[in-house]
Amino acid sequence: MTTPSFRDVERLSAYLDGQLSQAEKTRLKMLIQSDPALVPVLNELRQVRTLLRRTPQRRIPRNFTLTPKMAGIRPPVPRAVPALSWASAVATLLFIFTLGTNLVGQLSFGAAAPMMAAAPAGMGGGQADNTQPEYGVGGGPAATQPPVNMTVLVTPTGETYTLMVPEATPSGVTRLIETPSAQKAQHEPVNVWPFAWLGLAVLLIGAAFLVRGLNKRAFLRKNSSNRSR
Amino acid sequence: MNEPALIREAQRGDLEAFNCLVLAYQNTVYNTALRILTDEDLAADAAQEAFLSAFRALNSYRGGSFRAWLLRTVTNACYDELRRKQRRPTTPLEPETEDGDEVETPRWLADPTASPEEQLDQAELEHAIQHCLGNLPTEFRAVVVLADIQGLDYKEVAIAVKKPLGTIKSRLARARLRLRECLQGFRELLPAAFRLEEESSI
Repeated sequence: MTTPSFRDVERLSAYLDGQLSQAEKTRLKMLIQSDPALVPVLNELRQVRTLLRRTPQRRIPRNFTLTPKMAGIRPPVPRAVPALSWASAVATLLFIFTLGTNLVGQLSFGAAAPMMAAAPAGMGGGQADNTQPEYGVGGGPAATQPPVNMTVLVTPTGETYTLMVPEATPSGVTRLIETPSAQKAQHEPVNVWPFAWLGLAVLLIGAAFLVRGLNKRAFLRKNSSNRSR
Repeated sequence: MNEPALIREAQRGDLEAFNCLVLAYQNTVYNTALRILTDEDLAADAAQEAFLSAFRALNSYRGGSFRAWLLRTVTNACYDELRRKQRRPTTPLEPETEDGDEVETPRWLADPTASPEEQLDQAELEHAIQHCLGNLPTEFRAVVVLADIQGLDYKEVAIAVKKPLGTIKSRLARARLRLRECLQGFRELLPAAFRLEEESSI
């Protein structure tokens, strides 16, 4: 009886797993019959193998399914995205244009205000001849405006009119100019376009966000239902 | 489950199809990681990492045993984890007995189908096997876990650990010899149900 070599143990182990060819199996059986020391080794290897196969499987602590975030998958881009990206660009341009228009409008009105305010002081103070203010459209000095003679008229109802008599007008046409407050109320233009553009820009941006949000929500809902299945 | 169809779908990026494969194999993958790493939390991390790596590398799968291919990813994840563990050894938080053995929580024993006695027997067996597996070198441990605990054949184990058949045969024989010696120390402690009768030799 000799101590089995590792080569024999390897063969015995492979024999247990059915990994030997028919010829190798026959040779091993003959070897075992001639060397009884191999029998307990074979039995112990078989016991170990059987014990290992009986190892209880533990329960998984949780599911290992992947989420789109873990897998690095982004929600699919909706079909309307190219159009919406253009819409966003247009909306941005409109927004900037609207802001610019409003700013320019405010600047122009802001320049005209002092001139309008100066008018009654000059006219009402009885200094019409020498300190006559100059009028112009858009706030600039009216350099080409001919000098005029003015008379302030006050009606019984309290309304004030200024009678303007242009010196350079040979026909002697006179016209009535209302006081600045009344003039402002009647002639100040109401520009609706900036508001329209602003509204359009808000609508386009809102639509872009809405479509994006709905698409993401549908994607997440689909994946959450898949995970719960 | 039509596995080839699910694999094809998953290779096209279908996460739902891949998750069907995950559900089918997560038990095997987790238990393999657990026996190699001998730590529940590390095993869960390695299993998750393995599935993530598998999804990313799914296009490199060229047919054959999908189970073996998948177990290769978890074996690699376990090797990585063991290397990391060697670099940064940690102290277990579980309480220890006077002998220095960890007192394992009975949480994993919760099995409604087994009686308390059976659960205790299984716990004894598992403790003995886990202890002996933990004493094996990593490369032997991976082979014996895949072949004897997960029941893979030699070819599948060779795919899983990327070694030739001869190496698998040799490592498995060595691992069984070492386990035999180690388990002999537990022979008296093992429940009667697991003390095998002397079997006929051939």
